[in-house]
Amino acid sequence: MTTFHVSIFRDVLLQAISSLKENKLRTVLSVMGITIGICAVMVVGTVSQGVKKYIYKELDTYGLETLWVYRKWEDENPFRSVREGSGIDNEDLKYMHSCCPSVKQVTPVVYSDADSVPMRSKGTFVNTNLEGVGVNYLDINNDQLILGRGFRLEDIQRRKPVAIIGSKIRDELFGAHTNPIKKILRWGEVRLTVIGVLEYKDRNILSQLGADNYDVNKRVLIPYTLYQQQLGTKDVHTLQAEAASVKDTRKALGELTDLLKRRHNYHYEYVTESMDTWIETAEDLLRKISLVGLVAALISLLVGGMGIMNIMSTSVVERTREIGIRKALGAYRRDILLQFLLEATVVSVIGGLLGMILGIFAGFGISYFSGYDLGVSWSTAFVAVLVSIVVGVLSGYYPAYRAASLKPVDALRYE
Amino acid sequence: MIQLHNVSKTYQRGSLPVPVLRDVSLRIEKGEFVAIMGPSGSGKSTLLNILGCLDTADSGHYHLNGKIIQAASEDDLAAIRNRMLGFVFQSFNLIPRIDAERNVELPMMYAGVRPAIRLKRAQAALKIVGLAERAKHVPAHLSGGQQQRVAIARAIVNDPQIIIADEPTGALDSRASKDIMRLFQQLQHSGKTIVMVTHEDEIAHYAQRVIRVRDGSIVDTAPSAGT
Repeated sequence: MTTFHVSIFRDVLLQAISSLKENKLRTVLSVMGITIGICAVMVVGTVSQGVKKYIYKELDTYGLETLWVYRKWEDENPFRSVREGSGIDNEDLKYMHSCCPSVKQVTPVVYSDADSVPMRSKGTFVNTNLEGVGVNYLDINNDQLILGRGFRLEDIQRRKPVAIIGSKIRDELFGAHTNPIKKILRWGEVRLTVIGVLEYKDRNILSQLGADNYDVNKRVLIPYTLYQQQLGTKDVHTLQAEAASVKDTRKALGELTDLLKRRHNYHYEYVTESMDTWIETAEDLLRKISLVGLVAALISLLVGGMGIMNIMSTSVVERTREIGIRKALGAYRRDILLQFLLEATVVSVIGGLLGMILGIFAGFGISYFSGYDLGVSWSTAFVAVLVSIVVGVLSGYYPAYRAASLKPVDALRYE
Repeated sequence: MIQLHNVSKTYQRGSLPVPVLRDVSLRIEKGEFVAIMGPSGSGKSTLLNILGCLDTADSGHYHLNGKIIQAASEDDLAAIRNRMLGFVFQSFNLIPRIDAERNVELPMMYAGVRPAIRLKRAQAALKIVGLAERAKHVPAHLSGGQQQRVAIARAIVNDPQIIIADEPTGALDSRASKDIMRLFQQLQHSGKTIVMVTHEDEIAHYAQRVIRVRDGSIVDTAPSAGT
């Protein structure tokens, strides 16, 4: 006797829409409540996902698998004299491949104690971040060349006076959009031939967060062997490496420090750095931002839901007699329940869709005024519409349940 | 066939129990046209509501076409109202938002009839009550008599065995009342059972039998003066 017919769903939906049309102002007001809530959800989602995308892009300019090892200089024993040397030398590099399976590739990095190194070309001076590096350096650092070539093994082995320069160095010494390949760069008595120009790296958000003050676009890279010769040392100041995968970074660091300690008879302690601490910091920050936003958005959705509940309750009271008529004509409990639930859901879904559209436009607006292209978070849009359905069903349920529970004889007697 | 056996109903008015029906027993045959009469507060409306499965008795037995009504669930009662009973009310009880045709479609909608068939049957029912050309009018644009005829079309559209009418002419002038009563007689001739509450003697004359109720009990049941 109680078979459910699909056709009734369509009928009940049409009824719901017609009764919503009858109370236009009321419907519009309750739709707006949901629209604002869903719009807030969309903005929070778009901003947090957009910022996340940017931060990851900037973190990737270091290489997410990149790790650093260098000597720890504070000596724990104050009575022991400080040992000379960086604790890493050229000999160590030969063993990396066989002893460190979690390390994909490695480069030595040699630098001086000075903050910056002055260089000149035809009377123009510029302060550079000079680094002596190996062949793999560019690959490990996700550096791209916009002009020229990278280092070759023979550049390193023969200590060739060649340099790869950052884009700002090119701009300041030779002018933007020029081709400085084969031009000469003077570093004291050394005449360096420019062989490559690095692509510009964007680290705006990270430097705004105070993560890094070093200007990555002011680097001048030369063979580490050449730098060592000029400094009169065999020391490597930092070992930079790329782990086989992000998961392997801790293992790779362990392998590298174990090797270095063993080879230097445990005379040195080492400091290690990897990106995962940075990633954690960034994720933590993002989580906090989105949590605060999400709570605000949920509160406005809650208010919107209460609006729907209030309006549906009024509607049930106003239509008590209609409910009685429908029941007398044979409406099942669930037909009445469905009718009022659908009304609430239609309101909230319309509100949700409008909120989604408004949220997308708000996202464009924020992108425009902040200068960061946040894009559209379709996953948030999907969630927003889903949430609006849930809000509709939840806030419509109690009034619908009351309507469905009315006894036909009582409902018919209602004036 | 309708059969009541020792049916009682008590309402709670505040903390005071007020008996409305006391041990009412009653039998209405298939095809009969019965009028229930009595002063207000006599319990005649409650009796009709119980017969129409809109309300349930506190005790006693009710058999409707072989179904044991006091054991039926809420949804069973809805289905019985939908398939076996048609209702005509004093205040018509049409849904004001929708036109005559769609009002007549409602019982078929709850019966799960397909929309195309619904439309045909609604138009046929409106033709029977003589309102085919008013199908697209909303209730507010129809006279009282016309509204009641729409309600009758709605009552018969699922082809129920029994018509339950609560003061069907209470809000109509004498001419419209006569039209409605002729329609009822026509329905009776086509085989329907009609149970009608009224307080007007000349309306009761259209029925074959009059059941008189006073203080919650049946005091008299006799052939009507009209037959």
